[in-house]
Amino acid sequence: MSEKTITLKVFRYSPEQGGEPTEQEYEVPFRDDWVVLDALNYIKDQIDGTLSYRWSCRMGVCGSCGMMVNGEPKLTCATFLRDYFSDEIRVAPLSNFSVVRDLVVELDDFLGKIQAVKPWIIRKEERPVEEGEYLQTPDQLAEFKQFSMCINCALCYSACPVYGPESDFLGPAALALAHRYNLDSRDEGREEREDVIASEEGIWNCTFVGECSAVCPKEVDPAVAIQRSKVDVTSNWFKSFIMPWKNR
Amino acid sequence: MNSHPESRPYEPGYYKYKLHVPSRPPTWWLRNFKYFLFMMREISSAIIGLFLLLFLYEIFLLSRGPEAHGGFQESLRSPGFVLFYVIAFIFALYHSITWFGAVGRIQVVRVGGWKVPPALVTASAFVGWIVVSAIIGFYFLGGDHV
Repeated sequence: MSEKTITLKVFRYSPEQGGEPTEQEYEVPFRDDWVVLDALNYIKDQIDGTLSYRWSCRMGVCGSCGMMVNGEPKLTCATFLRDYFSDEIRVAPLSNFSVVRDLVVELDDFLGKIQAVKPWIIRKEERPVEEGEYLQTPDQLAEFKQFSMCINCALCYSACPVYGPESDFLGPAALALAHRYNLDSRDEGREEREDVIASEEGIWNCTFVGECSAVCPKEVDPAVAIQRSKVDVTSNWFKSFIMPWKNR
Repeated sequence: MNSHPESRPYEPGYYKYKLHVPSRPPTWWLRNFKYFLFMMREISSAIIGLFLLLFLYEIFLLSRGPEAHGGFQESLRSPGFVLFYVIAFIFALYHSITWFGAVGRIQVVRVGGWKVPPALVTASAFVGWIVVSAIIGFYFLGGDHV
């Protein structure tokens, strides 16, 4: 009995040659337990060593292997061939990003935006180390835990119809991360972050399409994080308007 | 802890080779049903805005006397206006349903130490909307007969 196979149509772009991208067809063995990344690795190892793509952990943790699979942003390490068999699979680089080569996209803009929201704990005054850790109750942890599960895979940016045409938009992951730190009981950097997230490029650009949350492999729900940030920023503004003598 | 190493600023031209910048076709919102719904929701704002402009114009005509207002009211019975009002009503309904549906996900409501489940928040918002609409409807449509 002949071995079952599946066809992958893979986006190819060569920066040295420039010009328009092409699509290359590969036939790979079909295995029930193979994911799209396994198929790409097979192509790279056995058929065409020139194919370029990012990957690392192969277990949905590193966030490197995000690509468009049949037009949807997916982690290819968590997307099984069996869900598409016997149809062909189209693999393309994440949309809304420039392409460096083949399936590799340029992420500098995305990473710069993550950094812009200061995703680390900010203290007005550091406590001496001798005084011990900043303790937190399980309830305080539960407040932000969901929003801390982001793996920076950028699938949400690829799905966001606002980020595509308006690349100044800070985007779902960065804004969800800002919300995560604002909710952290150990953090005191809300005001510092608010200058960025409430700016023209921030939360108000989001029109709550919700696709960022739909494609998130970690169920972070950035769409909700952004809307909650809008509520927080608005309520802070009202408080500062009604009681200007009080610190926010 | 407050300091953080600055990232290398993105500079176009950093790459030795040319990046491929994909183009976005004008029909991008038709390739995904959720994008289509998003566009319908955006359009609904324009339709509702148009409806409000007509409403304001009607109020303005009231100040010009019963003849001016009556004439405009008569023209509202034309098929074109009826069709517009039906479309505006559907869009208003769609916009309101999606808005109230989102309330439970967005608004965290706490009663004492209890976090109210999102579904209950949404259900309460819908009930409130229906009750207020019924009161307004009763006042304007049925109130005279009581």
